[in-house]
Amino acid sequence: MIVCVAVVGHQNNPLYIQSFTDADDALKLHHIVHCSLDVVDERVNNPKKSGPTLNETFLGLLYPTENYKVYGYLTNTKVKFILVTTDLDVRDADVRNFFRRFHAAYVDAVSNPFHVPGKKITSKTFAETVSTIVKSFGLSSAG
Amino acid sequence: MEEYPEEMRSPPVSLVAVAGCPELHQTVSTHLHSLQPPINSLALPDLSKISLLIASKPKDDQIPRPNPDGILKRDWLLKHRTKIPSVVAAFFSSDCVSGDPAQWLQLCSDLDNLKAVIRARNIRLVLVVVHSHSKDDITEDRMLALRKRAEMDSKYFVTFAQNDESELKQSLHRLSSIFAELANTYYRDEGRRIKTRIEKKIYSSVELNVRYCFKVAVYAEFRRDWAEAIRFYEDAYHTLREMIGTSTRLPAIQRLVEIKTIAEQLHFKISTLLLHGGKIAEVVMWFRRHNASYTRLVGAPEAVFLHWEWMSRQFLVFAELLETSSATIQNISFLVGSAERSLTEWEFRPANYYQLAAQYLKEKRTSLEVAVSISETLNATDSSAESVVPSTYVGQFARLIEQGNEFVMQPLTDEEYIHYAISDGKRFQDSFEIIALLKKSYDYFSNLKVHRIGAFCGFQMAREYYGVGDFSNAKQLFDGIASLYRREGWVTPLWEVLGYLRECSRKQSMMKEFVEYSLEMAALPISSDTGVQSSRKECGPAGPASLLQKEIIHNEVFGFIGGELGLTETENKTDLKVTGDNPLHLEIDLVSPLRLVLLASVAFHEQIIKPGSSTLITLSLLSQLPLTFVIDQLEVQFNQPACNFIVVNSQQAPSGASGVDSHRVETAPSLSLSSNRWLRLTYDVKPDQSGKLECISVIAKMGPHFTICCRAESPASMNDLPLWKFEDRVETHPTKDPALSFTGQKAIQVEEPEPQIDLNLGAFGPAFVGESFLVPVTVTSKGHDVHSGELKINLVDVRGGGLFSPRESEHISMDNAHVELLGISGPEGEDESDQGVEKIKKIQESFGLVSVPFLKCSDSWSCKLEIKWHRPKPIMLYVSLGYSPDGDDSTAHKVNIHKSLQIEGKTAILISHRFMLPFRRDPLLLSRTKPVPESDQLTTLPLNETSVLVVGAKNCADVPLQLMSISVEADEDDIGMSCSVQHGSDRLDPAIVVPGEEFKKVFSITPKVNLPKLRLGNVCVRWRRDSGTGEQPGSTESSVLTKQILPDVNLELPSLVVSLECPPYGILGDPFTYYIKVQNQTHLLQELKLSLADAQSFVLCGSHNDTIYVLPKSENILSYKLVPLASGAQQLPKFTVTSVRYSTAFQPSNAVSTLFVFPSKPHFKMVDVGEKQTESLAAE
Repeated sequence: MIVCVAVVGHQNNPLYIQSFTDADDALKLHHIVHCSLDVVDERVNNPKKSGPTLNETFLGLLYPTENYKVYGYLTNTKVKFILVTTDLDVRDADVRNFFRRFHAAYVDAVSNPFHVPGKKITSKTFAETVSTIVKSFGLSSAG
Repeated sequence: MEEYPEEMRSPPVSLVAVAGCPELHQTVSTHLHSLQPPINSLALPDLSKISLLIASKPKDDQIPRPNPDGILKRDWLLKHRTKIPSVVAAFFSSDCVSGDPAQWLQLCSDLDNLKAVIRARNIRLVLVVVHSHSKDDITEDRMLALRKRAEMDSKYFVTFAQNDESELKQSLHRLSSIFAELANTYYRDEGRRIKTRIEKKIYSSVELNVRYCFKVAVYAEFRRDWAEAIRFYEDAYHTLREMIGTSTRLPAIQRLVEIKTIAEQLHFKISTLLLHGGKIAEVVMWFRRHNASYTRLVGAPEAVFLHWEWMSRQFLVFAELLETSSATIQNISFLVGSAERSLTEWEFRPANYYQLAAQYLKEKRTSLEVAVSISETLNATDSSAESVVPSTYVGQFARLIEQGNEFVMQPLTDEEYIHYAISDGKRFQDSFEIIALLKKSYDYFSNLKVHRIGAFCGFQMAREYYGVGDFSNAKQLFDGIASLYRREGWVTPLWEVLGYLRECSRKQSMMKEFVEYSLEMAALPISSDTGVQSSRKECGPAGPASLLQKEIIHNEVFGFIGGELGLTETENKTDLKVTGDNPLHLEIDLVSPLRLVLLASVAFHEQIIKPGSSTLITLSLLSQLPLTFVIDQLEVQFNQPACNFIVVNSQQAPSGASGVDSHRVETAPSLSLSSNRWLRLTYDVKPDQSGKLECISVIAKMGPHFTICCRAESPASMNDLPLWKFEDRVETHPTKDPALSFTGQKAIQVEEPEPQIDLNLGAFGPAFVGESFLVPVTVTSKGHDVHSGELKINLVDVRGGGLFSPRESEHISMDNAHVELLGISGPEGEDESDQGVEKIKKIQESFGLVSVPFLKCSDSWSCKLEIKWHRPKPIMLYVSLGYSPDGDDSTAHKVNIHKSLQIEGKTAILISHRFMLPFRRDPLLLSRTKPVPESDQLTTLPLNETSVLVVGAKNCADVPLQLMSISVEADEDDIGMSCSVQHGSDRLDPAIVVPGEEFKKVFSITPKVNLPKLRLGNVCVRWRRDSGTGEQPGSTESSVLTKQILPDVNLELPSLVVSLECPPYGILGDPFTYYIKVQNQTHLLQELKLSLADAQSFVLCGSHNDTIYVLPKSENILSYKLVPLASGAQQLPKFTVTSVRYSTAFQPSNAVSTLFVFPSKPHFKMVDVGEKQTESLAAE
């Protein structure tokens, strides 16, 4: 299950962060997303370490904590997407697929002429789309 | 890791026992220990002592008990490492062997005893006969008998010689190789023996299976067979894991504790072995599996803290393992690249595991606290925890009960065990342990420059500090973390951290910090819908991040700064309040996080104003605090304190007394600031001083004793508000006029007062090279008094551009030397010496500075600049006057006035010259006859002959000039002797030369010394501007001397000189004689051919063609009688002289051979020819 998704801007500031848990661990998830930015930085600054993922937007598994797995994605405009999931057995293809759809939703949201680049995303449509994508995560692999 | 026993932590080492001959033990054991791999040895002085060491087996191993009490015996490993040798070496001295029968019998009985002891344990035997003397000779029979007696292979029957060094070494070497071999065999056999039990499944319980696997693995380790060791450890581990659901031997809690303890040991062994083999990725994978298979085995709820403690220890030990072996893991990145993708580089870093260990320890602490509180409420007897000790089996505990003279282990019930564990757990202070773990992690991440994860560790650490009441440490850490979150705009974590900081400063009674943190929290961009955190469990002392909470904090802090509330809510007597004795002042600068709380933007409506006139200034204040608040008084401060003013709230009672009396006090209808709404106030400002007027700060006063000093910002260059800049909201402008928001500045330029002084540069017309050109400068006051005036003069090359500053002029002087500022002369009638010493006067080549005396209104002062050109060049002259219209010397009041003038520098006189030969006298200069193509273009003059030099001086200027004199002056005297220059009068009557006119003067030159090159000297023309016109603004009375060097000339001695002589004029019909003189100046006889052509105007008498010989140094004169036949200018008969020797011919030019013939004898009026000679020439 996806517990948290986040969009992080150029200055490593959160543009959109939404958790999908009932428990009150929003703060903890904020911390996890924030910490994962270190890994993103390292991946981006030392591309040799990521080897085959050079020039790829999908950054792969960033940071396995005890109970969560954190995946990252870097758009070509250097906006970062972070996904936190509790599933211990996640297929890369599912995550890639998720990020692709999430990216599309993000592009739609920021293409809104009333959206100012660099500001938080407050679009309700975006939130709804994201929640749909989150709910459908992993279903394709089951089906 | 340190809490593990030594035998667990280090790899096992083979053990042998050495008995008998104690004098050799030291040598042998040292040698064995230095082997690679080493062998530990036990030394026994006597063979009989061996039975003490190796007790007979307590139980028969062949029939294992159906249900063992535990899985592993606590001392088994230690026993095999320190007590039970794999090999016993019995040392006999050769005396004993070869001695008398009594000795022999003793020996045999000892041997039998030994054999009996070791056979039960399969320990190998080595017999060593020590030869004490070289002469010793043991009979073969004895040896054989001994070997028979010992029933052993002859290979293990060793003689030990120690006669000399090499023999000893050899013996030791042989001995050690036998030991190694036998030890290996022993451990292999032991291992194999137990392995067969596993293979044949001869065990009654799973516990034994685990035990056997463990033993096999340990034996394999003894043999350094790491692969087999790992395999069997893993087998044991897996079997153990399966036991969890099935075993019923012990009460549930203790059973789990035992299994976990053993699993921990097995895991440790496996990890160590894997790391030893350098298989990092496998270790991490193994740890992950280990973690996964046990993390859910929480166990009974009352013993849950044991589980967390165990988990924490797993992480800690693993972190330590990774750290100690990290020296061998240099290239983590390489490993990650090659390992499977499921591993990330973070899993190879010990810091990660330290952090997790801390996390589990925190869990443990929480659950232990719960358990303690439960046990305290139950109020169980404390005595039950006493006398509980670890039992003989690993991971088990038992009560030690004294029964008579001996102690008996009594099993515990789970309740008793829990009670024991709780009381044991209470002894430790977990917080410090947690801090230590997090500190390691924090330091590690900080070194790696992984700031965010480091900050998270720091946050956890600081929370622990906060928990144990170490507020200063906590605050320091929190501060660092808060700045990271501020920078990156993570509001929710920032809220959390600030909440802790607020409480820390409250606890430490730091009033200012408390107010700062509270205000910042209240101004954070937290909207109502973010952070719907229902419970307070996760969030810190600040409570959940919500609008409501912000308002609570806002009210609290405003109550505090208003002096109504104290710092702490308790009824403490020493509660801090903001009072008159204890005022509070905050500073908000451009980078302060408190800009959210109060932002002051100041914009002048104009950019430049005149002094004394007033301008509008708009003061805009913005606050992000959630609730509206009222400012009592605003003080606006400028860099010119005279402009400062105070704004008070008109609704409040006019408390003007509170402000400084000298300041202007304005009133505003309302000074209340609501959230995210600009408060705009516009006032007049009237600066008096010129220069920059800048608004520095705005001080807001709220409540009687609280002020905030807010640095003023220009709207044009204002930074976005931190944190709020990421919020999606409408941006508002600080001023109503949007243009002013984009361009408004907090500073304004106040102009200088208009100068009321005339500065006049009087020169016009070009200046001439060489003369001292005077530029009159006049300063006339037309309304201002001139105090401490200074006149600055700069000469600048028009093409070169920039002004030369005094300092730069040193570099440029080489270029600029063409024009020079010679001096500045004071006004007429004022002598240089009259100017006081205090007057500044500074003159350099292109820069001058002169002070202007005090001038009253309508006074004037003038001076003259004296400039000299060395080359023709246009020059820009800049003159600037700086003065202060008032009496004081302050530079702020200086008024400056600038003037500039371009002046051309021109050449006035152009000098030319020409050499001529004398009339009708032609020397033969051989160098002229030979055409030399690239010879120097020097003129050649005949030696000892008089030549004519015509010097011309042409006026190139626009004004008429007076020529004073023209002369040729030799440079140096000695060369001057070499030729004589003669001319008419040295002084000219000042001759006026109009523009374009040329004045000529003739000199005759006679070179006397035969030199290849003759320097003739300089032509010196002395001139001045013609003053006849009356207006001559720039020129001086003194004349100017213009010099030009005459080119050098070649000198040559002519070999022949041909000269013609005839009267100056002829008269029709009157005969005259025409002489042709040829002078031979050589020492040779010259043959000349002469031919004369007829001329139609003359009747000629004489030979037409002739050959003459001229003797050396003599002259030949040919004379012809001519009668003119026609009047007017007539051509004389043309003659040609040809020198045979030089192959040259001479023919006079037409001008030379022309003669004017008068029709009759003319009558001349002889007047003063000598006087008018020059005039006639000048008119030419």
